[in-house]
Amino acid sequence: MTTASTSPASSHHHAMPPALGAERPVAWPSRTVRSLANGLQVVLAEAHTFPKISAQLFFRSGNAAVAHTTPGLAEMTAAVVRTGTASRPSRRIEEDLRRMGADLGSHAGADTTAISASGLAEFSEGILELIADLARRASFPVDEFERERRQKIEGLRVERTTPGFLAGERFRHVLFGGHPYAIVAPTEEQVAAYRREQLEDFYHHYYSPANALLVIVGDFSSGPMLAQIEKIFGAWEAPEPHALPTPVPPHYSGRRVHLVHLPESVQTQVMLGNLAITRRDPDWYRIVLANSIYGGAFHSRLVINIREQKGYTYSPRSGVNPLRHHGYFNVHAAVRNEVVAATLTEIFYEMDRIRSLPVSDEELSSARNYLSGVFSLGVATQDGLLGQLSTVYLDRLPEDYLETYREKIHALTADDVLAAARRHFDSANAQIVLVGDRAQIADQAALFGPVTNYDAAGNLM
Amino acid sequence: MNHQPKKLHIPVEHTTLANGLRVVASPDRSAPVVTVGVYYQIGFRLEPRGRSGFAHLFEHMMFQGSENAGKMEHIRLINSSGGLLNGTTNYDITNYFEAVPSNALERVLWLEADRMRALKVDDENLRNQRDVVKEEVRVNVMNHPYGGFPWLDLPPVAFRNWPNAHNFYGDFADLDAATLADVRSFFHTYYSPNNAVLLMLGDLDPAEAFSLAKRFFEDIPPGPQPPRADVSEPPQTEERRGEVPEKFGTLPAIAIGYTAPPRESEDWFAANMLERVLHGGRAGRIYRQLVLEKQIAVDTDGSFDAFDTNGPTQMVTRIFHRPEYTADATIAAFDEVIREIHEKGIAAEELDPVKVKFRSDYYSMLEGGMGSYMPRFGLMHYLACFTLFDGDPHRVNTILDGFQAVTPAQVRAVAQKYLVPRNRAVVVRRPVAKGAAR
Repeated sequence: MTTASTSPASSHHHAMPPALGAERPVAWPSRTVRSLANGLQVVLAEAHTFPKISAQLFFRSGNAAVAHTTPGLAEMTAAVVRTGTASRPSRRIEEDLRRMGADLGSHAGADTTAISASGLAEFSEGILELIADLARRASFPVDEFERERRQKIEGLRVERTTPGFLAGERFRHVLFGGHPYAIVAPTEEQVAAYRREQLEDFYHHYYSPANALLVIVGDFSSGPMLAQIEKIFGAWEAPEPHALPTPVPPHYSGRRVHLVHLPESVQTQVMLGNLAITRRDPDWYRIVLANSIYGGAFHSRLVINIREQKGYTYSPRSGVNPLRHHGYFNVHAAVRNEVVAATLTEIFYEMDRIRSLPVSDEELSSARNYLSGVFSLGVATQDGLLGQLSTVYLDRLPEDYLETYREKIHALTADDVLAAARRHFDSANAQIVLVGDRAQIADQAALFGPVTNYDAAGNLM
Repeated sequence: MNHQPKKLHIPVEHTTLANGLRVVASPDRSAPVVTVGVYYQIGFRLEPRGRSGFAHLFEHMMFQGSENAGKMEHIRLINSSGGLLNGTTNYDITNYFEAVPSNALERVLWLEADRMRALKVDDENLRNQRDVVKEEVRVNVMNHPYGGFPWLDLPPVAFRNWPNAHNFYGDFADLDAATLADVRSFFHTYYSPNNAVLLMLGDLDPAEAFSLAKRFFEDIPPGPQPPRADVSEPPQTEERRGEVPEKFGTLPAIAIGYTAPPRESEDWFAANMLERVLHGGRAGRIYRQLVLEKQIAVDTDGSFDAFDTNGPTQMVTRIFHRPEYTADATIAAFDEVIREIHEKGIAAEELDPVKVKFRSDYYSMLEGGMGSYMPRFGLMHYLACFTLFDGDPHRVNTILDGFQAVTPAQVRAVAQKYLVPRNRAVVVRRPVAKGAAR
């Protein structure tokens, strides 16, 4: 083998990597948690390095709340909320944002809706007033609704040509069956059938203070900020929405393949996995650690195998994905068409290996360090800290979740990894989604289980 | 309420080692993490002819092993220290960076020094990364709607000088042709300490950081200064147009790029403000008029790689428009926005908020800038660019003044001078498989 050694003469220099010192503790920012009389829960954390604030008003209801009648309605409602209030037409909202150096987002996921704004700290009052205006006095202008609807339909058409989106959409359908989590996006026809009154109903029902959480991180003093919040949000009254019963997702036995035909694909998007757990499950830390050794980090077994040894793919990863009521485990990789079967073989090989044999001490301590360190990185920016705090309070995790995360990770053992992998990486019953050109991959697909074929719109073929 | 803007001051210290390596430190002890970067002043603009995509392929090779850290060791040592790492290839720079808990600073510096001193890779590594890069191109370009639009589409239409005009991701034949000899030669030409800057940010003491830098890097021998290539463009005399088939996406799309004023010229500051007047979210004139008012477009956005390029670059607008409008009708609506600025200019009432938003975005970029997962990525990036291109990392604290000083008249003048057909290139992406995916 030819070797390109670019400087042969200097091998006496520092041949070993320096050892690590002790991890420094995270200095937790001053944090304030309050509930206003109207039920609005408020979480504040000061972060003074940059003169900005980042604020998010969450409602604990999203697309899952309406999936049985009007899929995607929560997202459409959020999209139209930012286009007008009783006192501000759309253009005024956008110009106000610019004046305050602010960005605004309003979106809904499966479990939550969020109005988010970040901007210069010197305009924090105006930014919070705008959020409150959108949350309380949205006017749903007809022409804005029609425009958003048309843009949504065009956006869905493009999304349904995107391999990653199609794989995720089919995977969730397969995994969750009749459960609302099965639907990640509406059909064009469903969007075309939305009525403006339905958006208003969702808004009046779910955008209520007792259903809300306000998290603000940034350059402010918590005392005056709390007084300001009381002034802006204190008089907001609305009834608390009722909780919905949640159906049970289906149970699978045996691997199955779900092939979504995307003609002329030069690659196949692979996604496979199974139902798993939420953050509230006692196994949560264990599955996170097992995942990071299996395929959740650059230096994980799966990435070394199918990228660094075999060159099948650019960025394969596995993930544990907690929604509020259920979670799932998945593996994804975009691979050239000739190596679909080879890739699946390696994915299952690595899954069976981590389910069968304990991880080495070195892998274990590396992975614990990785999770602990990445956690510290994740709370070192305003948006990162806001994201972590939101998770704690939206998922109603223990108050000390963040403060104890690193020590809980460091306490895990090789037995924990083995137990979590056996319980939650369900190799034998994995559901396999392939998005690609059927003519080029059907034979390989059939090696892994009974195949069901779909087109990009989700119709059986 | 107090509306007094707080002036942000970033602490910056810098030095140059005996071998020419520039070193910049910026302390902030608020979180126990450090961000480290090494930026080499070489990007895809200056990769060898017949080797399109090589600068990027080479970047992958920098993770394949160095003298004392073999294949996967760089990644293992950073991940197992609790850190993240990556590298990117740009027009004029290639960067390698890590964010780690601060107890791993020495280890990161050891690794970066080891690969600056001596890369150690073989044919198998090269074959492996060639395969990985091809899958990267497939997933990002060939198998993705609007893949490479417009960063790969515009340069060959807009520019005539090969460094500016070729396929930066690489033709597969060129990637196949790359050899270990090319790797060795590229390393020796461009990856010397005197062609790089080391950045260390976060939970550190600058004096200690400098002494670590000295310890790990100063004995790496300097190389000859890389040749300064001619990346200038011949004068353009008329609009340039191109068309690229869109294999997957259902909406027709148009990219319009205007070649920008030279870096840090007076026009450049005004052009940055003009770009925000045009783009800048939903309040931007193009989105407002094309998407919200006339509703010809479904989405528009804009980009201008102003800070991190050091050669010909463009201010670019992307328009995804409704299929019932032709490309010409859409471009005419865009031209109407430009004509309005040519004829009427812009008011201070419009420019002032643009400046406020610019300042706010600048702070956000410094704090994160690459999602929120890598603290101070943007600060590192800007410090590197100001050091390599302008010779002064302290620009990070003064550059905003140049934008705040721009007047409405300057914005109009820049529009009249640069936003003209003979200074632009237009690329149309036309969907080929009409209805195939519907």
